[in-house]
Amino acid sequence: MTRWTVVADLNRCVGCQTCTAACKHANATVPGVQWRKVLDIEAGEYPDVRRAFVPVGCMHCENPPCLDVCPTTATRKRDDGIVTIDYDLCIGCAYCVVACPFQARYRVDAPASAYGKKTMRHEALLENPGRIGVSQKCTFCVERIDEGLANGKAPGSAPEATPACVGSCIANALHFGDAEDPDSNVSRLLAENKHFRMHESLGTAPGIYYLWAPADDGAQACKTNSADAAPMVIQSEPAKGISPALQLSWDWRAAANFMAGGTGSGLYLAAFFASLSGPSLQPLLLLGLMLVAAGLGCVWLEIGRPWRFLNVFHHPQRSWMTREAMAACGLFALAFPAIIFGSVVLAIGAALCAAAFLYSQARIIERSKGIPAWREPAVVPLIVATGLSEGVGLLAVVLTLAGALPGAVWPLQATLLVLLAARYFGWRRYRRALNEKGAPTGTIKVLDAATPSFVIAGHALPALLIVLSVVAGFMGPVLLGLAGVSVFATGWLFKFVLITRAAFNQGYAIERMPARGGGDSAPGIQPGWTVS
Amino acid sequence: MGKRHSNRSQVSTYCYQCVAGPDLLKVEIEDGVATQVMPNISAAEVHPAGGKVCVKAFGLIQKTYNPNRILTPMKRSNPRKGRDQDPGFVPISWDEALDTISGKLNAVRQAGLNDDSGFPRVAASFGGGGTPTAYMGTFPAFLAAWGPVDMSFGSGQGVKCYHSEHLYGELWHRAFTVSPDTPLAELIISFGANVEASGGVCGVSRHADARARGIKRIQVEPHLSVTGACSAEWVPIRPKTDPAFMFALVNVLLHETDRSRLDIAFLKARTSSPYLIAPNGFYLRHSQSGKPLVWDLKSDRAVVFDSADIDPALEGEFKASGREEGADDVIWPHRDVLCSPAFTALVDHVRDYTPDWAAEICDVSAETIRSVARQFVDHAHVGETIEIDGKTLPYRPVAISLGKTVNNGWGGYECCWARTLLACLIGGLEVPGGTLGTTVRLNRPADNRWSSVTTGPDGFMDYPMNPTKKGEWQSRSPSRHAHRTLVPLAANSPWSQALGPTHLAWMMQKEGFDHLPEPTQPDVWFVYRTNPAISFWDTKAVSDVMAKFPFTVCFAYTSDETNHMADILLPECTDLEGLQLIRIGGSKYVEQFWEHQGFALRDPAAEAQGEARDFTWISTELAKRTGLLGEYNAAINRGAAGVRLSGEGYDFSLDPDKQHDVEAIWDASCRAASAELTDGAETQGLDYFREHGFRVRKFSKEQWYLYPALEEKELRFEMPYQERLLRVGRELAARLHEHGIEWWDRQLDEYEPMPKWHNLQKLWEDALAEGFGADMSEYPFWLLTARSMQYAWGGNVGLQMIKEVAANVAGHGGVVMNPAAARKLGLAEGDNVRVRSPIGETEGAVVLREGIRPDTLLMLGQFDHWATPFARDTKTPSMNALTPMMLELTDATGSGADLVRVAVERIGGAP
Repeated sequence: MTRWTVVADLNRCVGCQTCTAACKHANATVPGVQWRKVLDIEAGEYPDVRRAFVPVGCMHCENPPCLDVCPTTATRKRDDGIVTIDYDLCIGCAYCVVACPFQARYRVDAPASAYGKKTMRHEALLENPGRIGVSQKCTFCVERIDEGLANGKAPGSAPEATPACVGSCIANALHFGDAEDPDSNVSRLLAENKHFRMHESLGTAPGIYYLWAPADDGAQACKTNSADAAPMVIQSEPAKGISPALQLSWDWRAAANFMAGGTGSGLYLAAFFASLSGPSLQPLLLLGLMLVAAGLGCVWLEIGRPWRFLNVFHHPQRSWMTREAMAACGLFALAFPAIIFGSVVLAIGAALCAAAFLYSQARIIERSKGIPAWREPAVVPLIVATGLSEGVGLLAVVLTLAGALPGAVWPLQATLLVLLAARYFGWRRYRRALNEKGAPTGTIKVLDAATPSFVIAGHALPALLIVLSVVAGFMGPVLLGLAGVSVFATGWLFKFVLITRAAFNQGYAIERMPARGGGDSAPGIQPGWTVS
Repeated sequence: MGKRHSNRSQVSTYCYQCVAGPDLLKVEIEDGVATQVMPNISAAEVHPAGGKVCVKAFGLIQKTYNPNRILTPMKRSNPRKGRDQDPGFVPISWDEALDTISGKLNAVRQAGLNDDSGFPRVAASFGGGGTPTAYMGTFPAFLAAWGPVDMSFGSGQGVKCYHSEHLYGELWHRAFTVSPDTPLAELIISFGANVEASGGVCGVSRHADARARGIKRIQVEPHLSVTGACSAEWVPIRPKTDPAFMFALVNVLLHETDRSRLDIAFLKARTSSPYLIAPNGFYLRHSQSGKPLVWDLKSDRAVVFDSADIDPALEGEFKASGREEGADDVIWPHRDVLCSPAFTALVDHVRDYTPDWAAEICDVSAETIRSVARQFVDHAHVGETIEIDGKTLPYRPVAISLGKTVNNGWGGYECCWARTLLACLIGGLEVPGGTLGTTVRLNRPADNRWSSVTTGPDGFMDYPMNPTKKGEWQSRSPSRHAHRTLVPLAANSPWSQALGPTHLAWMMQKEGFDHLPEPTQPDVWFVYRTNPAISFWDTKAVSDVMAKFPFTVCFAYTSDETNHMADILLPECTDLEGLQLIRIGGSKYVEQFWEHQGFALRDPAAEAQGEARDFTWISTELAKRTGLLGEYNAAINRGAAGVRLSGEGYDFSLDPDKQHDVEAIWDASCRAASAELTDGAETQGLDYFREHGFRVRKFSKEQWYLYPALEEKELRFEMPYQERLLRVGRELAARLHEHGIEWWDRQLDEYEPMPKWHNLQKLWEDALAEGFGADMSEYPFWLLTARSMQYAWGGNVGLQMIKEVAANVAGHGGVVMNPAAARKLGLAEGDNVRVRSPIGETEGAVVLREGIRPDTLLMLGQFDHWATPFARDTKTPSMNALTPMMLELTDATGSGADLVRVAVERIGGAP
């Protein structure tokens, strides 16, 4: 088996960006898109400072998180390890963009020229409409590899069969070859040098290795960390271009899907259960469905290729986005007949779909490996509890407004109180997990800023209102309704913040600053992160 | 891969945008459009960096199709010139443009080629260290046919180049630029040399290879440059205090190191160390032959330096007789006078320059300085040899390199002297592993360092100094910066005008200098590939001067700050559009050491855009319209376009009386080049070069080293004692004073036989304080600049792709500042600041980096554009507007340094 791999020798790299430019030429990427680029990373404090240049791009991971999340199967991994994108399948949902912890993927929504409207001749000639609105990234110049192999040329040694960045490197810092072949150039380099892979702890097994010092001996060589390697310094101070940046791929439209979809599915479930022991709440069931539909409508507005939306159903095996879409379809397919025909069986099926929809949403967020605030597993119960509490809260609001709250509302009060408690403890657990594991400084700042209002206005206040509603006599329903408003509104606020404000990406990190020539290596750095 | 087309082909060409080239590349063409740049892999075995090009070459596609290009000849419609004036350029035909220019030129010819001040009426400014020649086709032949042309209006020379190194380097070891022998070196001490940004593809690849085998480079500089990043150790020295550090290294070698660790044999045989110094500071010479004397330890008497079978003393005091020759042939006879060898004088000279003394000046610990010195000696391998191309040569794998601002302006002499001296002390000058020159520009022939080693006085190489003796000194120079009058070391080669005090040409236009000819304006000024309105000191003053020139012709790519003042704009075929043959190979700056030499073709990869015309066509038309066709063709035949068209057994000379088209001219050149490389055996022309791209033959690696050439001629390096410069300085002083010129006195102090330490920081502070009445306490930071590989030399500030990829390298587009210093001023990353010197101000965003001294600011590259499309919108700061042009800050070679004191103030938060 072949495993195409890039080895970047950090001792050699001078950060000249020739590879960046060569990639732009070979792949005709538009302004602002850099499938390959070289980071300029500084570590230490004056006067004990190191500076290193680190080529990055798609890591062609062994376990690519982008592949798992892709709802269309546009992203695939070949047998030789190269991760590809089928531009014709991709719907441009950008899920892979937020799933990538290496910030390697781009989505360009409109043709772009270097000089605005004045398109140059080569730009016009090379314009590729197929790349508009879809995800794009480094391909390891897969066409060159395939064409080279077809013509008997060895990738890694024959320049025309080797990625353009590697072939152009003026410091011979970049190498390409088969890591599975023990005699290959890259295997030899890995055996002869100490090396690391970026964000190794995330378990994606990247296909780019960084050499940082000659091996002491053969036995040590293949270990990512040798005994003398001091740990990487995690630094809260940000570093421009290196530390985590706020993701911009999913904006308010994506947030709206989680807000409306969560509330809608929660409301459907709440109304469904309420209907089991009381009058049918068809309008509320319909409202829930409308909210789910509205959320999906918002996200449809966000995807780059909206008319390919049916491709979202291609990947139920792994993608929670596919599963979310299927759950939504099941919900609508079952809920309407259930409402129309009053079928309990269909209603139960619809309720199960609503629950699956809500859970899928939580898992969508959690599988976004590129966003530390999202990938924390504790986000799943939090999102589920939030959706359910919003649903019940909204149920209380609507019933209050409709004057339909019966005298004995304790089941509603109790349910809301329990869900509120679940949400609160979910939040606590989530925040504790982030604090313990570390997170982008920006994420923590945003969440810290949101905490008082979320905890007080979103939990303490509604809990008090619910308790008061029990003893408030005729004012009880009003207070319960107010509690519902509070729960519902703060839930939405939380998800809006989570998706659009706290969603800092992974950023970059360098485990070791390389030994330069006869010098020593030094601990690497992860800037813009809280220390766990 | 992007959308690719089936109709694809490749064209070979070269990139010579920077002096570190030329490098070879291929351009892919799809459906007639140049679409991508790629390495020339067929040159991998020939080119020292495997046929690769750096990031700048990848900008050439955008450069070709840039919508902001000027694509028709234009003339100015607004007679008023200035930054605040709209030139009102209107398109004209080539005929009108060329007729207008030739009309002016013909009028000049009629009035006389030189004006009443003796200055050429035609001036020309070309940028990029001679690289424009690789793009101007046969224009050099037109200039040769024309006659005298003033090239003194500089565009950065002296302040943006390695000026002192150019002059002293050529004097001492035929080193217009100096390079470590990187492939063999074990240790390089780099004082601010930013080779990873300025060394081009060859420099980068050589140093990367060296790092891979474990070379140690110690980078001594105030900020952690790209090169510092790639070095084993960074020593953050206080700006412009390098001479003290280097003098302390010399001190450690001479006062704290056993003599046996030095290369005594080299010092005795290949330097002037044993020459006896007489009481007046000049050599004690043999009474009859006039040759310098040394003290022979074998016979215990003074003998002439080139006596056979002697063991010259390096140290001690001896009584000897002879004569001493001072300036202007003054002779002092001496009898039994007490004198010492130059080496002893050197030991005394550096006695007080201890590491502890330097530590305080440089803000570097004495232990660090000692450690650097010890490592230098430890890695010198004194006594060892190595075989190069079958010849056994000394092996000294230690070298010192100097960067800009270290090796130019005041202090440049000290640093160049100390660097060359340190190499001599361990026998590491011009030997494998050591400190090498790369090319010659002032000595001749320019294409071969070995051939330039000619025997001069006193056992040294000859040097074409501008005369200083009475009756020979020239009170009038053929240039407006008086290089022949003021700077003996600038010599008188075709390159000399670029190596005089080029800012003086601008300063004289503004204020004039007593007792020099009236600073007239040139009647016609040609400008190509340079933008002095941006790339020089005090850019406002330079712009004001050029706005007064009566007739300026700019070969114009886009609008820019200099051609804003032009009368005619001519769109020439750019890099990928024009046809030309150039020489490649041999040893060239910055670190181009080839094992081949030959020629490469610039084959058009794209059709000429708009009305752009090939430079050779333009040159031929100008020659025809000025009646110089015969002289022009004759100049081409002589080799003015790069290759002599005839030789032994071949003659492809052009008929002088005919007008030849572009392809015919270069076909003849290609044929002559083929013949030259094959000793006349093969004569293939343009078609061959179009198919192959280049043609070379072997160049002996031994020629990388000058030592064998000196050894063969039994010559010595003129180190450590500068008796010749002392004499020249005294004579120059006498001539200038006789002529009433007192304003160059400060510069005359530099003619010391061994440079003393000067407080350069104070010199700068005093000059600014006195020149502008500034209170220096209000300007707490030293402002420096550094080379950007992405932008340097390329004239590519208007290219979007270059800006995009350069932004990945920290510092581009902003003011680099230490975070601790920023905190004290309440500044944060991205804050907009105004940086102010006593003469001007610039604005930019704060870029916080730990890798810079707290007392230092850095602005990468040269920007501040206000006319160049795209660049004018980038709001990038530049120090050029802040650096004053001052005589007080001009050294004896006519150079200054990119250094000024500034203040910083916040003008707004990050956007």
